[in-house]
Amino acid sequence: MCGIAGIAGTSLSADEKTAAVNRMNDAMKHRGPDDRGIFARNEVALGNRRLAIFDPKNGHQPMVTDDGRYTLVFNGAIYNFRELRAELSPLGYTWRTECDTEVLLTAIVAWQEKALPKLRGMFAFACWDAQEKRLLLARDSFGIKPLYYHWSSKGGLVFASELDALFAAKLFTPEIDPRAIGAYLANFSVPAPQTIYRRVRCLHPGQYATWHDGNLSLCAYTDLQPRAMRASDHCSNYQEFTAQLRLQLEDSVKAHSLADVRVGAFLSGGLDSSAIVALLARQSSERLSTFTIGFNEGNASEHDAARKTADLLGIDHHEYRLTGEEVARSLPSILARMDQPTGDGINTYFVSRFAAEAGVKVVMSGLGGDELFGGYPSFRQVPRVTRLVSLWRHVPSPLRKVILAGLRRQGEGRASKLADFLGHARDLYEVVSLNRMVFAEKTRLALLSPEAREAAASMGPFHQMLEHFAADLHGASPLKAISAWETRTYMTDVLLSDSDVFSMANSIELRTPFVDAPLSRWLWHQPDKFVYTPGRIKGALSDAVADLLPAGTRERPKTGFSLPFAHWMRGPLRPFLDQTFSASSLRQCPLLDAPAVRSLWDDYLTHNHPRNWSRVWSLAMLVAFMNRRIAS
Amino acid sequence: MKTLLFAPEVFLADGGIARILRAYLHALRELSPFDSNDRVGMVVLNDTPASLDRMPTYLRDDDPAPLATASGSRWRFLFACLRHGWTADRVVCGHIHLAPVARLIQLLRGGRRLRYYLVAHGIEVWRPYSAVEKSALRHADRIFCVSEHPRRQMIRFLPDLDPARLVVVPNTLDPDFTLPSAPPARSVSDDLRILMVSRLARADDYKGIDSMIAAMLQIRAQLPRATLRIVGRGDDRERLQTLANASGVSDAIEFLGRVSDEQLRSEYEQCDLFSLPSSKEGFGLVYLEAMSFGKPCLGARAGGAPEVIDENTGLLVDYGNIDEIADACIRIAHRHYDPATVRAHLQKFSFPSFMNHLTTALAD
Repeated sequence: MCGIAGIAGTSLSADEKTAAVNRMNDAMKHRGPDDRGIFARNEVALGNRRLAIFDPKNGHQPMVTDDGRYTLVFNGAIYNFRELRAELSPLGYTWRTECDTEVLLTAIVAWQEKALPKLRGMFAFACWDAQEKRLLLARDSFGIKPLYYHWSSKGGLVFASELDALFAAKLFTPEIDPRAIGAYLANFSVPAPQTIYRRVRCLHPGQYATWHDGNLSLCAYTDLQPRAMRASDHCSNYQEFTAQLRLQLEDSVKAHSLADVRVGAFLSGGLDSSAIVALLARQSSERLSTFTIGFNEGNASEHDAARKTADLLGIDHHEYRLTGEEVARSLPSILARMDQPTGDGINTYFVSRFAAEAGVKVVMSGLGGDELFGGYPSFRQVPRVTRLVSLWRHVPSPLRKVILAGLRRQGEGRASKLADFLGHARDLYEVVSLNRMVFAEKTRLALLSPEAREAAASMGPFHQMLEHFAADLHGASPLKAISAWETRTYMTDVLLSDSDVFSMANSIELRTPFVDAPLSRWLWHQPDKFVYTPGRIKGALSDAVADLLPAGTRERPKTGFSLPFAHWMRGPLRPFLDQTFSASSLRQCPLLDAPAVRSLWDDYLTHNHPRNWSRVWSLAMLVAFMNRRIAS
Repeated sequence: MKTLLFAPEVFLADGGIARILRAYLHALRELSPFDSNDRVGMVVLNDTPASLDRMPTYLRDDDPAPLATASGSRWRFLFACLRHGWTADRVVCGHIHLAPVARLIQLLRGGRRLRYYLVAHGIEVWRPYSAVEKSALRHADRIFCVSEHPRRQMIRFLPDLDPARLVVVPNTLDPDFTLPSAPPARSVSDDLRILMVSRLARADDYKGIDSMIAAMLQIRAQLPRATLRIVGRGDDRERLQTLANASGVSDAIEFLGRVSDEQLRSEYEQCDLFSLPSSKEGFGLVYLEAMSFGKPCLGARAGGAPEVIDENTGLLVDYGNIDEIADACIRIAHRHYDPATVRAHLQKFSFPSFMNHLTTALAD
């Protein structure tokens, strides 16, 4: 886990490139406090900050091949690097380190882009081929590790693991993208490949880019639908399925636990994290450390559940009491690390900080379990709404107009969301695309300035990747399509993005065994009735670890580290929010309609709608982010 | 064997669908040996007897196959379809709206089997289907999709369609279209002549013309003599003209309206870049036309455009991303696109290649 940066093809000299990449490296110190390095030539400069996990004494980056042709900077972890090494050794390659970086570099030398589908893990890397004068950039198939880039109209390329590092190169001026504001208010984050900034994009999950002679071409190396498996890998009954699932989970946890430093885990008390911890505890020869955060408000039962699980498994469990006052005090530090606005992720920041303070460098998380096993309400709601939408099309048009107008008059809430479904959606993909919208379309557009509103309206009501994903998922069953959609939108753009930013802010490597290509490929080809057990949420996962966890824990839905924001926003966080929604603060946000934003905050204070806190908070994060930019 | 083409328009207009259906008519004729009893006719909804005068000579022969035009009358069209379809062996439907007619004939004929096919062009099939359309689609022998994108969209909206019956038959240039002599490669300068060719209809607001107009301000900042020339007419022209007037670079944007074939060729020859950053092109026949003049193309990463434009023939941008459109135009201005390489790409979409695809698709 590291931070990478680089510049290619600009008019800067090698010395100027070195200075710029040095600045980018400095901006990512938190991502890699253990080591730093720079490689610079006339055409290209590559930089790296290293958090050493494998072979800490070796593995310095940028790593160059013996013949000097290839140079690699790499952020992430390749869990099957020992298998790849065994595959490469017979081809005549020799080894200098015990590090995954060297194996990745050799795999690229041997197989070029064809190496990418062979990699199991999380990664973003850049590899310079000095002979062909070609730079290869790539990102893992789930988008666990980010890679942002700016490609200038003159052909120069600058890239980095974080947006703030990208700007530290000082090669262009960051400007907020009006289109991104509307996308953020719809999705809780700005969906890839778009970013909050104009002319800055990120690679899609499963995408690679080749830069050569000022030209950049983008290619996908994975499909949303995993490739077909052998018929013998398909389970014929549920018992066989849960037994095989258990083996798959054990394999993923084992692969993700590889490290030459201490490994811990987040434990919330829900099924996902408990299953990961239980599997990890069985495999680990050392006493496992787990971490949870608790509050004085609310989630006492979750602390108890986490503690009980830890006691049962004989784990070194750490519980941290977080208060609203501490969140308020830490907000400047959190905002300083937030390189794009997000309505989520603060929980990850605190639990990562807690684990880092306990001396753990790698932590595992249960992230991804809901997407794989149908834990989200969307797995139930979307098929229902799709059936409703299908019936709705038979309602006479004049009556539809009357009903829609009535629903839209109800204001923000379930009625307006239903109006969006009925007014826009025609099939399951369009329903699922609207399902996670933070604000109903009418409210969202009203919160925007005329310029941003026009940009948002031109993008239409749906998620911008709708057409691509719907086309890629052709033939998939409804539940598999929902799973893939949740994985590639909410999980990638919100959960994984926040996890990277806020774990790295504390110099912690976060690993997600549920977000694993072999596991997800195997599950994709199993019958729906096994994977999404009817009538039981995540029943398959529960049954696969039935011998490890008591029924009380297994039947508990995933709760995550949900913070009591609804309470804190009226208490300790109130001064921050009052300041954020003040006239002077909103003046720094010309792309928002200040009166509409202020009115939303006033309405939240006046009416006690506990469900509305996330909308208000995500808006507050956007305003605070804009102010932070102005201040910096 | 008697083959019929049911079409909305073939010679009346020059839209994309009409042009590709001419290629189908030509290919079906070519696939019928002269010395056989095979006959290929067509029934056209909107064409008039006069419009058949535009039929190229190579499509005129002594073939007794019907060439029926309904001049826009749906009843006359339906009657002609029933009359000629009653004795046909196979029918190629040029639009999804016409597939139910073929299905009706198939039902009425009972035991005497009629095989019918559908050409799926683009957005007309990217939507939920009525019960009648679903029935027609399920009973079609094959569905010829102009690119992989509409194929996937059809499966999305009708998941029980057998994917094996949806065959990609990429579009081709009008067989009547003779390749121009390749112009010399342009040298890099601050001059960039951008051409758009599109219907300017309110219903076609996905074509990306607004974004292209909006991008001109940024393009002109880098290339002070860049111009945008827009060919086409329609009910959205006034709005687009207003946008252009408010763009700050109205002098750089010219609306040419409908132009003659000769003038269109001249526009293609003189442009440096063809742009249509549209979000819903099933294929984008105009890209092929531009490539035949050796011109690089700008399209959106949407619909079928990524299957037509590659790194040697142009650039792709996110739909509606004005910054990216401007940057891409500037990049194209600074990059040398070899006209011969651009034209070589057309081989993939040549008429013989189209014939091969169609032959395979029509085979059992």
